[in-house]
Amino acid sequence: QATLFLLSLSASLVSALYFHIGETEKKCFIEEIPDETMIIGNYRTQLYDKQKEEYLPATQGLGMFVEVKDPDEKVIMSRQYGSEGRFTFTSHTPGEHQICLHSNSSKFALFAGGMLRVHLDIQVGEHTNNYAEIAAKDKLTELQLRVRQLVEQVDQIQKEQNYQRYREERFRQTSESTNQRVLWWSIIQTLILVAIGFWQMRHLKSFFEAKKLV
Amino acid sequence: MEVLLVRLALVVARLLLVTAAFSQSLDSDFTFTLPAGRKECFYQSMKRDASLEIEYQVLDGAGLDVDFYLSSPSGHVVASDHRKSDGVHTVETEDGDYMFCFDNTFSTVSEKIVFFELILDNMDDGQSEPEDWKEFVHGTDMLDMKMEDLMDTINSVKARLGKSLQIQAVLRAFEARDRNLQESNYERVNMWSFTNMVVMVIVSGVQVYLLRSLFEDKRQTRT
Repeated sequence: QATLFLLSLSASLVSALYFHIGETEKKCFIEEIPDETMIIGNYRTQLYDKQKEEYLPATQGLGMFVEVKDPDEKVIMSRQYGSEGRFTFTSHTPGEHQICLHSNSSKFALFAGGMLRVHLDIQVGEHTNNYAEIAAKDKLTELQLRVRQLVEQVDQIQKEQNYQRYREERFRQTSESTNQRVLWWSIIQTLILVAIGFWQMRHLKSFFEAKKLV
Repeated sequence: MEVLLVRLALVVARLLLVTAAFSQSLDSDFTFTLPAGRKECFYQSMKRDASLEIEYQVLDGAGLDVDFYLSSPSGHVVASDHRKSDGVHTVETEDGDYMFCFDNTFSTVSEKIVFFELILDNMDDGQSEPEDWKEFVHGTDMLDMKMEDLMDTINSVKARLGKSLQIQAVLRAFEARDRNLQESNYERVNMWSFTNMVVMVIVSGVQVYLLRSLFEDKRQTRT
């Protein structure tokens, strides 16, 4: 089991994207997902070593804070991990989830003026399934496993399409509401203009009459 | 003799199947916030003779545009865009780390949300084991010959479904951009209509007041 985990972790990060992060910097990624979808994120950090002039795996004390917010801006996960880690969460509402990473270093000298290199890989939905485990647990033949993979993929596509339908409906509601509001605001503004015009003329007329100019 | 030929065909088919499963195309997509006046860079390690395709879109933020450039490990800028809203670039790669950056320094106030998708092909040189689950598979299937055909079909369906998922991701990015645009439209309409009305009322009040004060001050100059 442990070897399986290590294999999958290192395999996914070998050709992963990386970026540099400063000590107090926070980097945020947005994942727009349907509900009941699992997300697994793997990251690996490296610190720049001035003497060897290259990036080496970070020291033990250096970790990363991972904070996940759901579409309603509520924090659903806020945990600290080591210099290498994996975080998992499952969405309960469809929408834009925000995953933010920042380092937990409090000693400003630790980075030695350099940056921390973070390798990151985020897997969504059916990509999170560990087929090795599934094959072992359910004792599947290769054909059965392949078909299971296909079923999971189609499931994911279907979930995504349902979510798309829900988003399109909300989008249409916003458009229609904007359209209505443009119409109403224009009508109200015209009425106000006309009313103010009348009021001005009447007020000025009575004012001039009082001053015996008219 | 015939049995030998069939056996040979089986072995060759198996080999082909195994190599087909190994040459994979990896892709990942990310959506991130790019603060105003900042530049964000990402790096991707590549091998020789692989291909890197990057597709990006700006989803939110006034103007919906961003600067983009992609540079090779030797420092050459192989692709660059100036204030574009979306773009696609494909490069044949050499060994090393490719860097691509999204530049929002031209904007002082608006934060952008950028979506990008990386599609890597031919990354594998046949040595890594992407599908290690094969070791955990139990038993054998009957009718080996027919099974090879089935496996071929299933593999191609899997590849196509993967492509469908990718296309869905792109469509989702388009829709997110349109939705953000609409929502900012809505807010704009509300704000400016309200401001308009307030300004109108104030201006009419000021007009009336000014006119009245014109006539009242004349009292001093009249002799």
